[in-house]
Amino acid sequence: MSESRPYLRAQPRHWWAHQPYRAYTIRELSGVALAIYAAILLAGLVCLARGPDAFEAFRHFLASPVSLLIHLLLLAAAIWHMWTWFQILPKTMPKLVWRGKLIRQDVMSRTATLAAVACSIALLALFVVVGANI
Amino acid sequence: MSRPKDSPLPKRTIAPLFWLMFGAGGMLAALFGPALILATGVMIPFGWGLPQSLDSYANVLALARNPIGKLVLLAVIALLFWHAAERLFLTLKDMRAAPVWLLRWLTYGVAAVLTVVAFALLLAIGF
Repeated sequence: MSESRPYLRAQPRHWWAHQPYRAYTIRELSGVALAIYAAILLAGLVCLARGPDAFEAFRHFLASPVSLLIHLLLLAAAIWHMWTWFQILPKTMPKLVWRGKLIRQDVMSRTATLAAVACSIALLALFVVVGANI
Repeated sequence: MSRPKDSPLPKRTIAPLFWLMFGAGGMLAALFGPALILATGVMIPFGWGLPQSLDSYANVLALARNPIGKLVLLAVIALLFWHAAERLFLTLKDMRAAPVWLLRWLTYGVAAVLTVVAFALLLAIGF
């Protein structure tokens, strides 16, 4: 009888590169930056397994300007990942109630972001302590 | 397991396993990612605030030979790959970049292979 024929609006080809989807695309691609960092660590592990000479070459690369530039870009992406991750968090988890009141999403995001900053500072402090005792 | 065709229960999938890895990797990166990148990529190699000897061959070898150190290295490397694989897969799928089966292999497949490589290297480095 009545056949369903929903209207499908035509989508431009590169919709993901334009507003309002661009922010979503950038957020999702911050994951690629994390994969690049994991690949650098894995390369270090490969060099470690191959011996002292290979590992020295890896350290030599880490101390180069190119590596510094890459890591600064990765750092910016990781900070963006941290920020957006905790903006999404309250939307993906069950509602939190404390003393009969609903906890606001922006309060959850802010608290979690501060906790993450504290975690990163604690890890840097651990590096400093280990470095002082090595 | 056989499931009756008229079962009211939703079909079981292994998708939650991928979400778990995605979530774990994302949380790990959000909590410690900035500090890790800053330390291993900027501060230690150039000796800015941390001694350069921290990533000397002997020290990194000691870390990779320690069972807990092995676990930390594997967790960081593998979970970051699985996190990226999930995000990249869904984004490329939304972009209709390639057939879905191909995207699965290029993302989850690569993450799986690199996880096995990291695991094998950590074993080869010994205890």
